[in-house]
Amino acid sequence: MHLTREEEGIYDGEQGWAYQTAMRMLVKLGDLFGATRLIRIESSHISGVSYKTIGDAPVEFLEALIQAGAKSKVAATANPAGFDYGHLAEMAAMPGIQDRQLKIIDLYERMGVNPVLTCTPYYVRKPRRASHLAWAESSAVTYANSLLGSWTNREGAPSALAAALIGKTPDCGMHRPENRQANIFIKVKTNPANEAEFGALGIYLGKMLKDKVPVIEGLGYPKETDLKQLGAAMASSGMTSIFYPNQSCAKQSGRLESITVERKELKEASESLSTTREEPDMVFVGCPHCSFNELKQIAQNIKVKKVGEGLRFWVCTSRHVRERAKPYVDVIEHAGGVVISDTCAVVTWLKELGVDTLMTNSAKTAYYAPTLNGVGVTFASLARCIKAVCRE
Amino acid sequence: MEVQLKGRPIVSGLSRGSALVSKKPLGFLGGVDPETGTVTEKNHDLQGTSVRETILCFPHGHGSTVGSYILYSLARKGVGPKAIVNDVADPVVVVGAVIAEIPMVDKIDLSQIETGDIVEVNGETGIVKVVKGEELCT
Repeated sequence: MHLTREEEGIYDGEQGWAYQTAMRMLVKLGDLFGATRLIRIESSHISGVSYKTIGDAPVEFLEALIQAGAKSKVAATANPAGFDYGHLAEMAAMPGIQDRQLKIIDLYERMGVNPVLTCTPYYVRKPRRASHLAWAESSAVTYANSLLGSWTNREGAPSALAAALIGKTPDCGMHRPENRQANIFIKVKTNPANEAEFGALGIYLGKMLKDKVPVIEGLGYPKETDLKQLGAAMASSGMTSIFYPNQSCAKQSGRLESITVERKELKEASESLSTTREEPDMVFVGCPHCSFNELKQIAQNIKVKKVGEGLRFWVCTSRHVRERAKPYVDVIEHAGGVVISDTCAVVTWLKELGVDTLMTNSAKTAYYAPTLNGVGVTFASLARCIKAVCRE
Repeated sequence: MEVQLKGRPIVSGLSRGSALVSKKPLGFLGGVDPETGTVTEKNHDLQGTSVRETILCFPHGHGSTVGSYILYSLARKGVGPKAIVNDVADPVVVVGAVIAEIPMVDKIDLSQIETGDIVEVNGETGIVKVVKGEELCT
C-alpha cells in the first residue's frame, strides 16, 4: 500500500500508540484485500457494543486506546446495547451486568463515538450518495450500499473503530466500482406479499449467493421496509453487501448467470424460519430498528385494540426515531405495547425475562434468535403479529 | 530434521515455541476463554487445550470480529499464543494479531506441522522453521 507522508508518520508512531495501532490495522487489512491506498470516509458505524453478545472482550483494548488519547476523527455512531435504560422494568434484571454495559458505552463515548445505540444509523443521519463509509452492522451496510448509494464494506467491530480514529479506510472491496457491478440475475416469479416474505426471500438468496452482487427482478412495488428486510436477511445468511432491486437490465441480464425463484421456494423459506407452533410469550417487531413510518403503521393498526394480558409486545427503534414519532409511541404504549430503544430482543436477555417463544416479522431475528437467544420462533408478517397481540 | 516453510509475513516479530495444531477454523469470541486461554469451542479438536505460549497453527479464524479483542486480552494476561500460523489469514485474526502484537504468518501448509513440534516463526520474512522430534538448539 502507498501511504502519504502523514499516514506513514502515524504508522511509525508519531501520533502515539492508539493511532499507530489503528493505522496498522487498516494497512494490514488493506494489504490483505489488495488496496493500494487509504481513502477518506464520511462516517463510521461501530458494532461490538451489546454486553450480551461481546461480554468484557473489548474493555481492556478500549481502555488502552483512551489512555493513549484516541479520539474519532469523523462522525461515528454505535450499534445497540444490551439494555434500554429508560425501560429497565421491562428488561431482565441483571444488576452487575447493567453497570458493565454502561461502562462499554462510556468508553466508546469518551472516544467521540455518538451512542445512538441503533442498527439504523441512516435514520439518525443519512449519509450522502457516493460517500465512502466504514460501517459495521451488516444490515446497515447492505442498506447504505443498496438503498442510499453510499459505499461501504462490511466492517468488523475493530476495523470500523480504527477507521473512525484515522478518518480513512482501505480502498478495496465495495469502495471500488468494479466490485459493485452486478454479477448474477435473480428473477422472482412471485411478488413477495409483505415485509416478512421479503425477509424470507433474503434468507433464501443469502445462502445461495454468498458474496455475489445480485440484480433482483420481480419484486413488484416494494416499500422501503420491504427492501430493508430483504437486505438485512440476505446479509444474515450470506455475505451480501449490495443488491440492485428491480433494475431494468435486459441487456445486462443476458450476459449474467440467472436464477429463478418460484412461489414454492419462497413459501418453504418462509416456513423454515418458524421453529415452534406454540403461543408466543413475546411479539417483537423492529429488527432492524423501526423507521418513523413503521411506528406510524403499527400505531394505526393497533389503535383501538388492547395487547392481550401476559403477553409482551416489543417495538424496537432508535431513541432518535422514538422521540420524533412520540404521538405514535403513545398510541402503541397506551394499547399495552412497549416502544424500546437502544437495544432489541436479540441483543438483550430474553430467557432471563421468561421468554421462551418469540413471534417476529423479522427474518433476520428468526434466523438468529433460536441460537443466540435459545427461544422458539414463530415467523409472521407485521399484520399477523399485530393480530396476535391484540385480543378484541 | 528441520523443515523450512515459506509463507506470507503478516505481523512482524520472532517467536519460538511448541506447536499446537488444529485442523479446524477457530472463533475467538466464545471459542477461547479470555482468562485462561483454554479453547472452549464445542466440537473443536482443541477443546479443553490451552493456547498459552504455543505457536498456534490453524486454518483460519471464523465468527465475530469482536474475537480480535479476545486475542488482545489473552496477550495482556500472558495466556495468549507466542505466534500464529494460518493457512489463510482472515480479518478477525489479522486485526487481533496486530493489536496484540503477536507475530503472524499465513499461506503455510499446515500438514507439515504437528502438535509438539518446535517451531520458529519469523513475522518479518514469513519463514517458519519446524524441528521434528528434537529440540531446536538455542
